[in-house]
Amino acid sequence: MEEKNYYTIDPEGKLTCMKCGIPLIKGKAKFMYLDNGFPVELPVCPQCGFVYVPEELALGKVASVERALEDK
Amino acid sequence: MIIRRTRSVCPVCLKNIPAVLEQEENGRIYMSKTCAHHGSFRALIWQGGMDFTAWSRGGAALAEGQGLDCPGNCGLCGEHESGSCCVLLEVTDRCNLHCRYCFADPKCSAADPSSDPAFEELEGQIRDLAERCGQPLLQLSGGEPTLRDDLPELVRAARSAGCSYVQVNTNGIRLAQDPGYVQALAEAGLDIVFLQFDGTRDEIYEQLRGRALLQEKIRAIENCGRAGIGVTLVPTVVPGVNDRDLGDLVRFAAEHMPDVRGIHFQPVSYFGRIPGNRVAEGSVVGGSDPRGSTLGGIPEERYTLDRLMTDLAEQAGFSTEVFQPSRCDHPLCGFHAQFLVRPGGRLKPLTNISHSSPERGTARDNREYVGRHWRRPEEEAAPAVLRDSELSDEMDFDTFLYCLRHRSLTLSAMAFQDAMNLNIERLHRCTLHVYDRGQIFPFCAKYLTAVAEI
Repeated sequence: MEEKNYYTIDPEGKLTCMKCGIPLIKGKAKFMYLDNGFPVELPVCPQCGFVYVPEELALGKVASVERALEDK
Repeated sequence: MIIRRTRSVCPVCLKNIPAVLEQEENGRIYMSKTCAHHGSFRALIWQGGMDFTAWSRGGAALAEGQGLDCPGNCGLCGEHESGSCCVLLEVTDRCNLHCRYCFADPKCSAADPSSDPAFEELEGQIRDLAERCGQPLLQLSGGEPTLRDDLPELVRAARSAGCSYVQVNTNGIRLAQDPGYVQALAEAGLDIVFLQFDGTRDEIYEQLRGRALLQEKIRAIENCGRAGIGVTLVPTVVPGVNDRDLGDLVRFAAEHMPDVRGIHFQPVSYFGRIPGNRVAEGSVVGGSDPRGSTLGGIPEERYTLDRLMTDLAEQAGFSTEVFQPSRCDHPLCGFHAQFLVRPGGRLKPLTNISHSSPERGTARDNREYVGRHWRRPEEEAAPAVLRDSELSDEMDFDTFLYCLRHRSLTLSAMAFQDAMNLNIERLHRCTLHVYDRGQIFPFCAKYLTAVAEI
């Protein structure tokens, strides 16, 4: 399916992987909950695979899904 | 082997006495207790089809000297561990059915509304409970609350008093017959109809409720759906009557989602009115249970929470791992599970016991969970990706959130306690409370019914 973006990398290449010292690039990532997958495009390190989750996504959609699935 | 020490009551005189949970080699767990005056009693607590220790999570047992005055000195006291999730208020003693099983054991006559409490009296009680119980979910119950023509005004009063959610506990007969009444309830702010719904076949209603009711139940669901009121189906599960209908109940609910938001199973308990039970006042209600040994009509072979979960999983076609215990109420008091409903009614589980948090939850968390899952969400356009296609295992966050709101189903249960299996440890954590003339009681203390001495 088509990945949905919830952020913009602006400007692209501004973020750097601290471990590898190279710019993050736009790549595919997937959040998982049980056997549900949520594909997104996020800045990833092309060398070590580190995925950067922007604060707006973590505190936005991810938090909304977490709240909706919150246990009784 | 004794696995737990707690306290209970003598089922005959209701005096507080020590009790133990004993596990047999076959995994079955019994509550055993002895009253100095009335002898020894034991009640099946767990059939052994699921791991008791994993489910009950070994929370703290009653401390020495705790629970000695329960439930004789109820309302809620300083020993009570939980706030109010749901508060039940009886608004009439009248009813238009005469069920063989009824926790409230009302006067089963629809006539004479002059016996009802006055609106102004109930309005004052609603304001009082909303303030003292922390703006709970209010369940208007009875008797049959829809026999009151002013029920919409009571719903409005609950809303203006600040109750977080308002629910009506009903057999659905009037909701089926009177769409204008349903609309008035919706406009007054009713969130949830808690619909007595024991099965998908009329024989079940004939046995439990005295007549065929299925078509009326379906009309009630349709009328609530049109008015935007969420419906929770509430079956009383009685072995030999509807315990083989659980899978069909789930399929029915999935087909009627989103009008139906969930099923709340209530395995039969022995209080109020049950066939053969001798109530505290000494009147014999009649009938007897043909299965096994009985005490005042209570069969020794009880329908336990773990048997409900294993039967449900087997009949509906999923694993028992989807069930999670409450983090707020005692784990032996119930379960919950949530599913996405796929085209054709197939269920995709969204819960798993492995995701269950050991941290104690609050009554407020509990209330928000049930409110969120049982009320009907605002109408909104479906995401384009869903319009013609199968629900995928992969979807974007927005589509998933839409599906949680509009294409999900919650299965839950509450196993009420009776005089045979009452566990004070469970009672201390109860969040389902009953308001009665200024006092607040745990549900299972309020409706506790003694069985007569054999």
